[in-house]
Amino acid sequence: MRTIETDVIIIGGGATGAGTVRDLSLRGIRAVLVEKDDIAFGTTGRNHGLLHSGARYAVNDLESARECISENRILKKIAAHCIEDTGGLFVTLPEDERTYHDRLLEGCRQAGIKAEEISAREAFSIEPNLNRSIIRAIKVPDGTIDPFRLAASNVLDAVEHGALILTHTRVTGVIVEGTRVAGITCEKDPGELINIRGRLVINAAGVWGQHICSLAGIELTMYPSKGSMVIIDYRINGVVVNRCRKPSDGDIIVPGDTVSLIGTTSKKIDYDKIEYLNVDDDEIEVLLRDGEKLIPNLSRTRVLRAYCGVRPLVDTPGKQAGGRSISRGIVLIDHEERDGLEGLLTIAGGKLMTYRLMAEMASDMTCLKLGIKAECSTHKQPLPGSETKISPKKHIRAFTGIPESVVGSTLYRHGQRVRNILKKDKKNYRIICECEMVTEGEVEYALKNLNVKDIVDLRRRTRIGMGPCQGELCAYRAAGLFKELGPGNQSVKSSQLLRDFLEERWKGIKPVLWGDSLREAEFTYWIYQGLFGLGDIDFTKRHGPDEGGDR
Amino acid sequence: MNYDCLIVGAGLSGLVCGIRCASEGLRTVIISGGMNALHFSSGSIDLMGYDPSGKVIQSPCRYLKQLEEKKPGHPYSKVGVKTVRESMEFFKKQCGLAGLDLHDNGEENHFHITGLGTMKPSYFSQKSVFNDRLKEAYERKDPIAVLNFDGFRDYFTALTLEQIRGLPLLRGVRITTGKITLPYYFRTERNLHEFRSIDLARVFDSEKYLPRIADEIKKAAGGARIVGLPAFIGIDNFGWIHRRLEDMTGLLIYEVPTLPPSILGMRIDRALKTRFADLGGELSAGDKVFGGEIIDGMLDHVHTENYGSTRHRSRFYVFSTGSFFSGGIRSEFNKIEEPILKLRMSGSQERSKWYSESFFDKKGHPFLSYGVDTGKTLNPYGADGKTVKNLFCVGSILAGYDPIREGSGGGVAISTGYYAAGKIISARKKADLA
Ligand SMILES: Cc1cc2nc3c(=O)[nH]c(=O)nc-3n(C[C@H](O)[C@H](O)[C@H](O)COP(=O)(O)OP(=O)(O)OC[C@H]3O[C@@H](n4cnc5c(N)ncnc54)[C@H](O)[C@@H]3O)c2cc1C
Ligand SMILES: Cc1cc2nc3c(=O)[nH]c(=O)nc-3n(C[C@H](O)[C@H](O)[C@H](O)COP(=O)(O)OP(=O)(O)OC[C@H]3O[C@@H](n4cnc5c(N)ncnc54)[C@H](O)[C@@H]3O)c2cc1C
Repeated sequence: MRTIETDVIIIGGGATGAGTVRDLSLRGIRAVLVEKDDIAFGTTGRNHGLLHSGARYAVNDLESARECISENRILKKIAAHCIEDTGGLFVTLPEDERTYHDRLLEGCRQAGIKAEEISAREAFSIEPNLNRSIIRAIKVPDGTIDPFRLAASNVLDAVEHGALILTHTRVTGVIVEGTRVAGITCEKDPGELINIRGRLVINAAGVWGQHICSLAGIELTMYPSKGSMVIIDYRINGVVVNRCRKPSDGDIIVPGDTVSLIGTTSKKIDYDKIEYLNVDDDEIEVLLRDGEKLIPNLSRTRVLRAYCGVRPLVDTPGKQAGGRSISRGIVLIDHEERDGLEGLLTIAGGKLMTYRLMAEMASDMTCLKLGIKAECSTHKQPLPGSETKISPKKHIRAFTGIPESVVGSTLYRHGQRVRNILKKDKKNYRIICECEMVTEGEVEYALKNLNVKDIVDLRRRTRIGMGPCQGELCAYRAAGLFKELGPGNQSVKSSQLLRDFLEERWKGIKPVLWGDSLREAEFTYWIYQGLFGLGDIDFTKRHGPDEGGDR
Repeated sequence: MNYDCLIVGAGLSGLVCGIRCASEGLRTVIISGGMNALHFSSGSIDLMGYDPSGKVIQSPCRYLKQLEEKKPGHPYSKVGVKTVRESMEFFKKQCGLAGLDLHDNGEENHFHITGLGTMKPSYFSQKSVFNDRLKEAYERKDPIAVLNFDGFRDYFTALTLEQIRGLPLLRGVRITTGKITLPYYFRTERNLHEFRSIDLARVFDSEKYLPRIADEIKKAAGGARIVGLPAFIGIDNFGWIHRRLEDMTGLLIYEVPTLPPSILGMRIDRALKTRFADLGGELSAGDKVFGGEIIDGMLDHVHTENYGSTRHRSRFYVFSTGSFFSGGIRSEFNKIEEPILKLRMSGSQERSKWYSESFFDKKGHPFLSYGVDTGKTLNPYGADGKTVKNLFCVGSILAGYDPIREGSGGGVAISTGYYAAGKIISARKKADLA
């Protein structure tokens, strides 16, 4: 068994864990992050990607609203290439309660959020597709944030500052010696066991944090709440559109890259169901019906996928008087203080866009515990890709010869790092995924630098297969490139990676399988089963190493 | 203009039907909207590849006899084995007349190698994909070189190799891969590395480059006797070019179907359209039928998008508009329907029943066998449940079979198209006699 020694161990490669490993690494603290699947596999990769202005919380939860607006401003600086500063609207429909609008304005004022009442006419000029019957509108500094890019660039920076990242590695035990946590045991994908010892363990496993605590013999209760979203085929709105009413189902439409998504629902679920979630038909109906009230064109647009995530809400007994309270805010637990177990922290709750603050809080407490004096710098230090302000014009000039659309999308996804990706070599910039303009160079860069183990991981780094065709042609091409450029002596066949990728895409297509989605699915099935017979390959049989090969 | 036969949809089934009608002197027109499924297919014609347990079928016609009893609702059972056989011969002959030679294995299935290196059973393949000389060479265990153009996106030899080595048929055979450089000498403003199969096929079609390509193939093949190339040895001139390349290299060359567009499928499409035109058939491409009227159990006329209120009339009609993919049937949130006349469908209206949980489920997906319901003579039922006597539905618009699980798409299209033509021809003859 392999043993690794370090100072701090972080469990969970969501935004929170990724932010924490970066923060610690920038402070010069040795850290190892362990993720059972891939970076942003959990809730981080299953939300709206809304860069809240805080306005959504301004009526009910001022503390969260303040956290949001302050982080909103910071992230726009340090994570510019992950963010689109779209702006947002809150709109009131005739059937909505009128006073909510005023309460929202007042809440925003108190929280320091720049919210501006505008006329319906102005709202239409900002968002031409908006329902014409709205009666009032407020403009807020909402934006959008790409969670995959955000988590990946945090990890990239951490690695460049000495951290070790183990993906596809599952924590199977917490090593407790007396009243102290001394490390963890984990298992890498094909049965390889690893011991990691460190001075402190940070549980950043999101909703799975309950399970991690149980491995350490202590109790932490999560209240998993499922939220579903549907993605529609093209970017129907330019700015974030919120319904101005008490938060409820289907009240927000968020643009992102080439698509828009409608969110969300809220359903309590049992903890033991969190691995087996499906989007239900009634959720899709509600989302489409209520989404339609905000933007009427919606029903004529093709629905691409539906997916769901679980909000990691933590039960924090005693925080409020009068019994149990479920916090929607950030929860940092020192288990030494709470349970008498030294060397373990839990950081949970919060939001995607408060990940940096959560990481700062966890890292501050780490320093305190380990007696290290080091300041947080993540609020000033830009993420890799966002080092300087990006000027698309300048880059397009620097890469003359390469189609502008290619430079644009690469720049959009990788910011400054575009220089490590694009080369003036025609093979390098040929398009692999037409829908999302992903080039071979980008795939190669991801395969070599971004810790990619399979095509699903590759999708999270590059958006390959995320567009309208959902991987029809690019899946085969990606599998081929994996074989040519990917990590050597793979134990898994590329055709198996291909099958797994298509199965993963299928999960999100199934719930919306009608109209054009059904057509595309028939096409994809014809190619991969009809033409290639992919489903007939028996992957349980061992295969010998490739002989011969290229000359 | 009054027709004997008006066919909607110029796919495999509509074209076969049209060719047979036209060859008997019927005034035949085909109105067709978009690209047909051949452009995306393997270019081999499957008749019946697998039994319900997924086992490969050796002798499809023998299997179809049993099917007649077990599954009377299957399109093959409706048209009968005899007609299926006849139709396949007819098809082969028609392709031959248009210069497209097909290999058959004497009523047995043969195998062709796919772009993933798996084997698929098929009934007819183009001679550049499979032929007797190749069969013998495989049996002799001649070494194989799997080649590709360096930088062609839609085919990866590495993926073929991964799989092909495990094939029982090729056990003990030396298999290598190799690259030939893209035809850089072919002047183009576009990025050669983004060329699709069709762009490369055009390069092949021009004889000018053959000597250089042959040279490269010889080098890349090393000591191999058999060479596999992605399928783009021309669209127009393929037969001749394939022979020339084999002569120039002294190697056996076979083609592998790649990601769409399918050059192999396009050759069939061209061959059939040429035949149809040669026989005096009329093709109205780029128009779509959007409605029609049924009066007393007879389709009276149809309307097309280009000619709005004009009534197109014919004695007989054939719908060969394809499956969901081609728009012959369509689906909504909780509904499936035949869009032109709302013909009666077979299949569940409940969406959760349409698909299987996993994409590659061994059982396939129920939606693939949804389609228009017909009686034994392939006449559909109108929205009122009454048979439409002068309308036939053929090809993948039909319900009752799963083309992918069975490996039967091509055969059903050909045999049902041929069968409907037969019905129309004999009805026409009867009318003439009367
Ligand atoms: C429907 C919905 C919509 C949302 N919308 C927004 C929004 O618009 N804006 C916003 O800011 N926030 C939003 N959120 C909240 C936000 O998504 C989450 O708060 C945030 O992503 C949580 O990140 P995390 O890193 O704490 O948890 P996660 O992302 O869940 O990360 C935990 C990780 O731990 C890993 N893990 C679990 N067990 C183990 C183990 N045994 N070993 C190793 N690793 C393990 C998991 O695989 C996972 O990757 C939304 C949430 C939901 C559910
Ligand atoms: C992507 C794909 C790959 C396939 N690969 C294979 C394969 O490898 N081997 C195999 O045996 N089978 C394959 N098939 C099965 C295929 O369906 C049949 O083999 C056969 O080609 C179907 O022919 P068809 O004539 O029924 O329909 P199609 O070929 O689908 O043709 C229907 C035509 O009708 C037109 N049309 C539709 N509606 C209208 C309208 N209202 N007005 C006018 N025109 C209209 C369409 O544009 C289209 O051109 C494949 C199918 C698909 C979808």
